[in-house]
Amino acid sequence: MKAGRADGKPVGSLLEELGRRQLLVVTGKGGVGKSVVAATLGRLLAQRGRRVLLLEVDPRESLHQLLGVDPSGGEVVEAGGGLSLQNLPPRRVLDDVVREHLRLAPLVRRVLNSPVYHHFVDGAPGLKELAVLGHVQRLVQGWGGRRRGHTDLVVLDAPATGHSVSLLAAPRVTAGVIPHGPFGHMATELAELVADPVRCGVVAVTLAEEMPVQETLELLDLLRGRLSRDPQLVVVNGLYPRLAPRRQGASRRNGVELAVRRRRVNDAELARLREHWRGPLAELPMLPLDRGRELVSALAPLLEEALADRVEGRP
Amino acid sequence: MRRSLLVVVGSGGVGKTTLAAAIGLASARRGHDTLVMTFDPSLRLKDSLGVGDEARAQEVEVAAGTRGRLCASLLDARQTFDRLVQRYAPDPAARDRILANRFYDHLSGSLAGVLEYMAVERLFEVAREGRYDRVVLDTPPTRQALDFLEAPQRIVDFLDSGARRIALKPWFDEHGRLRGASRLGLIGRNIEAFLDRIVGLELLRDMAEFFQAFGPLYEGFRTRAAEVQSLLRAPGTGFILVAGPGEEHVPDTMFFARKLGEAGLRLGPVVVNRVHPKELGSVDGEDEAARLLRWLAERDRRGLAALRSLLAGRHRLVEVPLLPEEPADFASLGDLAGLLDVLLDGS
Repeated sequence: MKAGRADGKPVGSLLEELGRRQLLVVTGKGGVGKSVVAATLGRLLAQRGRRVLLLEVDPRESLHQLLGVDPSGGEVVEAGGGLSLQNLPPRRVLDDVVREHLRLAPLVRRVLNSPVYHHFVDGAPGLKELAVLGHVQRLVQGWGGRRRGHTDLVVLDAPATGHSVSLLAAPRVTAGVIPHGPFGHMATELAELVADPVRCGVVAVTLAEEMPVQETLELLDLLRGRLSRDPQLVVVNGLYPRLAPRRQGASRRNGVELAVRRRRVNDAELARLREHWRGPLAELPMLPLDRGRELVSALAPLLEEALADRVEGRP
Repeated sequence: MRRSLLVVVGSGGVGKTTLAAAIGLASARRGHDTLVMTFDPSLRLKDSLGVGDEARAQEVEVAAGTRGRLCASLLDARQTFDRLVQRYAPDPAARDRILANRFYDHLSGSLAGVLEYMAVERLFEVAREGRYDRVVLDTPPTRQALDFLEAPQRIVDFLDSGARRIALKPWFDEHGRLRGASRLGLIGRNIEAFLDRIVGLELLRDMAEFFQAFGPLYEGFRTRAAEVQSLLRAPGTGFILVAGPGEEHVPDTMFFARKLGEAGLRLGPVVVNRVHPKELGSVDGEDEAARLLRWLAERDRRGLAALRSLLAGRHRLVEVPLLPEEPADFASLGDLAGLLDVLLDGS
């Protein structure tokens, strides 16, 4: 990427800095536009020459609409410009693990059809999270070296359920319960990946409203407390516009007054967020576009500009 | 009136918690003793209701000045789990064994799914005690719609699965060595070493101990899971679906509606929350801000129209306008309660 400085530390834009990682986990509460930000970030990084895979783990596919491609149905779908998309519900990842380990078709069928397996997969805490992260790790490391380099970077649109930190904490929790053996090793390795800011970046998406900001602050605490790390970026999405000052004598209609007060809430919540988070923060406006490809295209230059600040990279 | 339970469901971020509080207030205003069970209210909402962390341990009465009592409780997975163990463990020794078990510690505190399960357990306790005319249950944010309601069955199934059956066998002798391994001599030691390599004997020991200690509680779990399932389908139980405004939320809303129907649960009204008012559509000006405001008003009209035609009159559609600020004090909650009072008709 960019030339190094005298002390050897590379310097680049925040966007380039994010793109150096193997995994970017985009997290956020439901309804904050997390998927839109993940898709926009994926587009931008692919434009910079990284081979990016956008990974969606929600069984109900929606990311493809943002890229203007067909649903993935589990397969990798090319979305053009070095960007591809895969929807992979955790359940499918686990089924694949069974196939790979048992190899013999009748045996695989027996296991996959067995109610014990179903209940175990559904109920065992942390298992799905572990499966998703394990899949990511294999994607970026390649299969036995042969497909190495197929994907430089996975942008994971993390599940919106509960606190996304449970996805990130799952390996450490599992490693705590299973200290040895192949599962233990896998969990330990994944815990290291997730905790390592050089390989894994976390992008927290929020709205400048009370609950989303509160949850973002909790997420920051949990990341520090449980994973000893910070996110690389906080994106504040969907900001109401700043309205031009009122003309002398002209009265505002109800609706405009509403928008003015909503923006005031945005500003207050932004200030509260900044008080607790001094790291990189990108602001994105609400745009008059439906959720879809055009929205991503319109947000991309705005996000790029917000991430243009030069930052000192890690050596 | 007969006792009733209102379950407020919907995707994350649509404002369920605030609406649940307002419905509770409307119910107490009607003179009904009401409990609002909620997960994660905002700090402002907690402050203005006067509900602190003590509500995690027990219901707290809210000084709302209503005819009926208004109480609130916060759901906390770990605390409910602990309380359950304390209540149902056959003796203090068994209780201490469970609470001190490392596996339990991980299971109850840090992992997904447990919160949902515990909410249902708590609901069961409250319903059985029967101290309220109406319980309004806020649900945790899930995109998979009914994760929350299916959680009890899933956990029972998990406990019921091979993992439990295997773990319940007395694998370990009093010296903490694999039972049988000592009898088998060299082969036994090999088996033990193999298992230790795969998952670690420590884990097996913890798991076996956990399931054994949990054994006496297990039947209770199963019974309660079944009773909660029938409570959710009882005549006094209704579901209120909260939806976001705008067309993009319509698929989510219809997905919930369909899932509730498939599960045999009674969906009542659908509340579309935070709708941008029509007046925005008549904002003058050609600058970006004016265009955006007009678009928001139009987008939310489109969403409402789409939803209305898909619901085809099967469910009442209640529209709640976007407010200048998220209601968090009694005055603004009261306004909201006025709008939502219709939800209590017939429930």
